[in-house]
Amino acid sequence: MKKILFAAITLLLLTGAAVEDLAVLDPRAVSLKTVEPPRDVGYTVGDILSRTVIIEVKHPYELLPTSLPIAGNQKKRQNRDQGIEVREVTVEKSAGVNTTTYTLHLSYQVFTNKIVARPAALPPEFIKFGGKGENFEVRVPSWNFRISPLAVYGSVVIEKDMSTFRGPLLLDRSKHEDIRNALLGVLAISVLGLIYILGTSNWLPRMGRPFAQTCRDLRKLGNDDEGIRAAVSRVHQAFNATAGHGVFEATSFLLRKPGFEPVAGDIERFFKLSRTVFFEPGAPHGIEGDVMTWLRQFTRRCRDCERGLK
Amino acid sequence: MASTDTQLSEWRNQALKLESEINKVVVGQATPVRLITTAIFARGHVLLEGDVGVGKTTLLRAFTRGIGGGYERVEGTIDLMPNDLVYHTYLGEDGRPHVDAGPLLREGENLAVFFFNEINRARPQVHSLLLRVMAERTLSAFNKEHHFPHMLVFADRNQVEKEETFEIPSAARDRFMMEIPIAVPNDVEIMENLIFDTRYHNADRLVENVEQDVLHFDKLNTIAVALQDHVQASPTLRKYALELWLATKDPSKYGVRIEGVDINRLVLAGASPRGMSMMLRAARVNAWLNGRDAVLPTDIHAVFHETVAHRLVFSPVYEMRRTEIARELLSGIVNTISAP
Repeated sequence: MKKILFAAITLLLLTGAAVEDLAVLDPRAVSLKTVEPPRDVGYTVGDILSRTVIIEVKHPYELLPTSLPIAGNQKKRQNRDQGIEVREVTVEKSAGVNTTTYTLHLSYQVFTNKIVARPAALPPEFIKFGGKGENFEVRVPSWNFRISPLAVYGSVVIEKDMSTFRGPLLLDRSKHEDIRNALLGVLAISVLGLIYILGTSNWLPRMGRPFAQTCRDLRKLGNDDEGIRAAVSRVHQAFNATAGHGVFEATSFLLRKPGFEPVAGDIERFFKLSRTVFFEPGAPHGIEGDVMTWLRQFTRRCRDCERGLK
Repeated sequence: MASTDTQLSEWRNQALKLESEINKVVVGQATPVRLITTAIFARGHVLLEGDVGVGKTTLLRAFTRGIGGGYERVEGTIDLMPNDLVYHTYLGEDGRPHVDAGPLLREGENLAVFFFNEINRARPQVHSLLLRVMAERTLSAFNKEHHFPHMLVFADRNQVEKEETFEIPSAARDRFMMEIPIAVPNDVEIMENLIFDTRYHNADRLVENVEQDVLHFDKLNTIAVALQDHVQASPTLRKYALELWLATKDPSKYGVRIEGVDINRLVLAGASPRGMSMMLRAARVNAWLNGRDAVLPTDIHAVFHETVAHRLVFSPVYEMRRTEIARELLSGIVNTISAP
């Protein structure tokens, strides 16, 4: 027993001597960068975490492949499996002028879970390099993350969960909102189209009514005799279009369209003016001042009656 | 010019007085009275159409009294022959045959009104004679040409009764300036008066209430010419009248529609040039009666139906509904065509 104990102590001392033999690599001869997984929470059993380690060493040092983690292994802690297993290890090597760059792609798979969230870590790795008859070791630091449970422990009563951190539990309605927005777009285009059709290119439906159009047309006409003839003719057309048939005098028109009663007197005057312009040049029409101005005002008043504003 | 204006003004007063006189004895017929007055001053013959006992004859007799001049009347019967209008023969007291002038010749040139009652009961031969008399106001008889320069033919017919009647051919209808419908007045008060007021029970005595010779029949031709020359028709109105005429020929082209009627097959012949000329003559008179010196579209509308409807020739399939369809067609034309 003593022999065995002695042999073991001797072996340990020898091993310790061998470890101590590994010189610490000159920091100027090596540089290390790691690219960690994008998040450090929310992992659960079966998830794979990948990290990339980039080690640049000066010549003539070279990576010792035997020091790389072995797929299928998992580190133990206090003689218990940590549940983080090395899944795959790949190495890319690229040589520079004075240095050699090793890119290690390490992936680990989680094989543990708890009913509550708990901390875990990708284990530290020790990568060895050899050169100039010496071996050197580089430590890749561990990386902490949290493992989440697969399900909430115990029964969940939403009504009692008054955590202010948890928002209201809502159904995902984004898809329906997208459909709604698309339909609203179609509806808006349809309405615009309908307005355009009803308005016969007059922007708004009410703007396309006979006297509204006439009102606009009269603005373009001149103040001479020809312009007045055209204007009176245009107003006649508006009366005809409003009544749905030829209108030749005020009384029958007002009977059919009582909305124009407020301008009854002006309508009478208009037909007298029409008589003078088209049928009996000498007949008095009773309009004082500029006839075209009166006609424009008259059509504006008729337009207001047409729109029910008077 | 001033004297013509004055003369026309005086005649208008007389015309309105005549209307007033007639309206005193024939109540509820203001529109037909205005139309007949118009025809008198436009020198056009008139055909009255209406049911039995609505006052057609009384109306014409009242006008005849107001116009003055010679008045003759003949009843249309199935055995009436043309020569019955020209002469009649009989055995005199002396036992010898005598030939006397018939209704057409009796008054000579003073004949102002020739009233043909129930014209559609007369044979086509009679219509034929009347056609010439109406158009030319002359007649050849006893080796002599007789002239009736002041004559107006007033005729009436009963549209309801069709038995033992002869439809007046379109050529004869075209000679009449107007066909005027006479209907029973709608006014209840007037209807009651017609029944209970004893004034209306004796037509002869009623007609005597019209002042005699309000117009001078022998001056009507002169005044009619002056009137037609005086009342003007503007280019816009001429165009409008032309459009109306064309529309009577091809209403579908102008978008006129009548429910239940194939408008493309309806009209075989539209208004004649003579008809349209008469229409404008009547429209001028209407303008004058309303105190205007120019014709307006409303003057045409006032006489359009009465001067045009009876001239239209419809497909036989629509002839039975002639009155109704003609009214709808002409109303449709007036409503469709605008002026200006």
